[in-house]
Amino acid sequence: MKRPIGIAANPASGKDIRRLVARASVFDNQEKCSIVARCLVGIAAVGHAPIVYFDDTHRITRSAIEDANISATPIESLGTGTARDTTRVAVDMKDFDCRVVITLGGDGTNRAFVKGWLNAPLLPISTGTNNVFPVIHEATVVGVAAALIASEMVCFDDVADQQKVIHVRIDDEDDDIALIDAVVSMDRFIGARALLDCGQLRTAFLTHANPAAVGMTAIGGLLEPLNTTVDAGLVIELSSNPASARRWVRAPIAPGLFQDVGICSLQRVALGHSLEIIGPCVLALDGERERVLKPCQRAILAIERDGPWVIDVERALHAAAKNGALVPAWELNEARNAG
Amino acid sequence: MAESKTQPEARELTYVAAINEAVRAVLTEQPDAFVAGEDVAGAGSVFGYYKGLLEEFGAERVIDTPISEEGIVGLGVGAAATGLRPIIDIMFMDFMGECMDEITNQMAKMRYMFGGTAYLPITVLTMSGAGISMAAQHSQSLEAWLCHLPGLKVVMPATPYDAKGLIISASRDDNPVFVVLNKMSLGMKGEVPEDSYTVPIGEASIVRPGENFTIVTYSRMVHESVKAAEALSSLGVETEVVDLRSLQPLDTNVVIESVKRTHRAMVVHEAVRFGGMGGEIAAQIQELAFDYLDAPVARVGAPFSPVPFSPQLEQSYIPNADKIVAEARTLLDV
Amino acid sequence: MQPSDDVLRDIHRRMVRIRIFEQEAGKLMEAGKIPGALHLYVGEEAVAAGVMVHLSDADQITSTHRGHGHLIAKGGEFHKMFAEIFGRVDGYCKGKGGSMHISDMQIGMLGANGIVGAGPPIAVGAAFTNKFKKSGNVAVSFFGDGASNEGSVHEAANMAALYKLPIVFICENNGYGEYTPQAHHQAIVDVADRARGYGMPGVVVDGMDAVAVYEAAGEAIKRARAGEGPTLLECKTYRFFDHVGVRGMGLSYRSDDELAKWQQRDPITLFEATLIEQNIVSAEEAKVVHDKVEAEVQAGIEFAEASPMPDPAALLDDVYK
Ligand SMILES: Cc1ncc(C[n+]2csc(CCOP(=O)(O)OP(=O)(O)O)c2C)c(N)n1
Ligand SMILES: [Mg+2]
Repeated sequence: MKRPIGIAANPASGKDIRRLVARASVFDNQEKCSIVARCLVGIAAVGHAPIVYFDDTHRITRSAIEDANISATPIESLGTGTARDTTRVAVDMKDFDCRVVITLGGDGTNRAFVKGWLNAPLLPISTGTNNVFPVIHEATVVGVAAALIASEMVCFDDVADQQKVIHVRIDDEDDDIALIDAVVSMDRFIGARALLDCGQLRTAFLTHANPAAVGMTAIGGLLEPLNTTVDAGLVIELSSNPASARRWVRAPIAPGLFQDVGICSLQRVALGHSLEIIGPCVLALDGERERVLKPCQRAILAIERDGPWVIDVERALHAAAKNGALVPAWELNEARNAG
Repeated sequence: MAESKTQPEARELTYVAAINEAVRAVLTEQPDAFVAGEDVAGAGSVFGYYKGLLEEFGAERVIDTPISEEGIVGLGVGAAATGLRPIIDIMFMDFMGECMDEITNQMAKMRYMFGGTAYLPITVLTMSGAGISMAAQHSQSLEAWLCHLPGLKVVMPATPYDAKGLIISASRDDNPVFVVLNKMSLGMKGEVPEDSYTVPIGEASIVRPGENFTIVTYSRMVHESVKAAEALSSLGVETEVVDLRSLQPLDTNVVIESVKRTHRAMVVHEAVRFGGMGGEIAAQIQELAFDYLDAPVARVGAPFSPVPFSPQLEQSYIPNADKIVAEARTLLDV
Repeated sequence: MQPSDDVLRDIHRRMVRIRIFEQEAGKLMEAGKIPGALHLYVGEEAVAAGVMVHLSDADQITSTHRGHGHLIAKGGEFHKMFAEIFGRVDGYCKGKGGSMHISDMQIGMLGANGIVGAGPPIAVGAAFTNKFKKSGNVAVSFFGDGASNEGSVHEAANMAALYKLPIVFICENNGYGEYTPQAHHQAIVDVADRARGYGMPGVVVDGMDAVAVYEAAGEAIKRARAGEGPTLLECKTYRFFDHVGVRGMGLSYRSDDELAKWQQRDPITLFEATLIEQNIVSAEEAKVVHDKVEAEVQAGIEFAEASPMPDPAALLDDVYK
């Protein structure tokens, strides 16, 4: 039995307030549905693989699967309409022993997924707002990559890399996780979630610091770039107070939104480094306000490389080219007959 | 359902139940008929008259639509023009404002404009009338809008019997027919045969014979007029009450014959008096029976205002037996 | 844009005012004391309150058949509201409009509306006035998921974007149009997905979270005031009562489970808990708010009951100016 391919599309990605304040793109569900459909075409081009999918509240994947007229196993959504639905489905996909999971969403979606399955094998497609974690690839090709791995035509270990994550442990509450950044904000509420005012930020803990991306990662990236392969993180102390800020950087904190950010200090830290945060404050994880810390409540943030395995689509397809994985069977037969 | 003493097959049914039975009969008899409208399937209509039809005929023939009146009526027009026999539900007649182009410029005219090459066997069921404080946008009687449009037929049943028979007739008619129902009448009971039957469109009925005075009316005002006739009877006036049942086409014959006998006439309707059907009917009486008239043709209708919300104001707004009697006494000087 | 403590207390008070008014109105309707139909707003309070704190009396709103919450949040007075829904002469509309047409032109509340989808075009007209007069005011139009399927709504949205009018369209998506679930009335789940087609930004927000609504509405209203054009803001919410009244017609079109799940996210309970946790109001202060509103509601009812019915002689007044 082949291990299945998982598909998890987040219906809520690409719709929040950042469309308004930051000119981010809208990802309507019709578009997401087409993306899943193209993944399915890619998978079918390689051959058949069992599929399990997150039957999301907006029926994104279900409608693509029904249109393609293929059989696949749905995993019922919790139906909360929140990130918990995605976290829950990750737990189930782990139980299904998925060989690889295609996710549709942004950083927040993948974070929610990894919360349920820490070292999940992921092929993230970007349909979100902040997309540092998912790389832009045509869905058709992502489908091919997924099928190559599920059918063992390409060796997983050759094309996947394990990612760094920040573990968030909060006193008296459930743990959390961040893939790219964990940020302490003096906001008091989760509210509309997006981080829109750098004036409120105090500390940023980054796994990546990419000057060519948007979000908190760009703040670090514009000062001291740090890529995914280096075994280190970056801790930045921020302040909007000119008296305490030692330097300033003009960073795109969301798509279409620049702010001048005051920096007090910046420190590269090794894996295993941890940071203690005491409330009251709000923890923003991967660009969205997620957790409220009450006065005196403590959170510990620690960076490790024990996160998801992300498949490099380009490497996967190059490997396929090398071993002829996409040469059709009839071509092979003709070649054999000719020889 | 009470047992009927006279005919074995006629039972007492409410107006609601009669509508339900009529639509059920239509769906049974006509494989190309379907019902579409807001909350007609799952909820069986907010007035309850499609209850059970979804279960019996399935979601392909009893269809919940979005709140899109223009779309719904347009769907009916297009489906009728291409071979189906739609029953379209417009929950409240007031909502016709949303779909008046489909009614006025498409449904009513398509056949004529296309030189008779199209026909539209479409039935529209809709609800009129005041009386339960539903206020200005859920209480109107807008039948005059429809009667002004060549190409449409308009019927307004007063009783459960007529409701069933007229709906079945409408659905068998190859023209667009509006069946305008009345919300205050929904609980009213009357004899209704179990079998499918028709009440011909365009035939008025004399619901109370009389020789001194004619009241021409329709819909719920039939009952108020009969009540008024009883009161007038004690004043020595025997009133004939004509229930038009159908406004378009209009049964002028029955009206004129009655007026020729009684020499005095009054038109009663719930709709606003100004510009209402009463003006048309009065004009026809004067054109066709001028020499027989001993008095001007009187009209009773609602005053020239939107329907008010407050119950007492609303009661003072709606025509009723007392107002009919008062108006008749002035006219007849009794 | 995080709200200040004062704004938070204001939002709280507006929500509690809506809740208690509606609960009492529901009881009175079911006791047969209020004529006609009431469409109650219980469960959706965070939307009206989170939006309306951004507006002044000079900003206009158009409402829906479910309009009490909008009027209360905009600053409507209980005694005139009760008098109106009782059909009394001292009501907002002198007893002529009732629940479905309740309005207060003084504070820019351009009416509840018995016609689904009728509000947005009117709001476009109000926004046109604002632009014409360069008043800096905005118009906000509330409409439901069901209403989003009316042609009038699409026409209004197109015109608003075309003329770059100062307007915000708020879709109160409570998952149902009367008794029809959303999945049976439209092929999409997020009405905000349509915004792109109109040429305006579309945002989805949790309509049970007053702060989330506050933030998103604040940005949209700011944008409108700055002359940057319209926004479609969709608030995901739920009505705790039936379509009409409290228990409605007793149809079983939604499950008890579903209702219970949403009730766990009661916008007032959630918000109050946060305010108390963050020491913005104390439990006692919250209770005082409830008690005061309660008393105000009772006074409103007494006022309404004492108010006379309109004189039939007034029937023809106000048809024309
Ligand atoms: C034009 C029109 N069509 C139909 C109705 C009947 N009606 C009243 S409320 C309603 C449902 C509206 O649903 P939605 O817009 O989602 O608002 P909600 O009741 O859920 O707040 C319907 C169909 C109406 N009043 N007006
Ligand atoms: Mg709704």
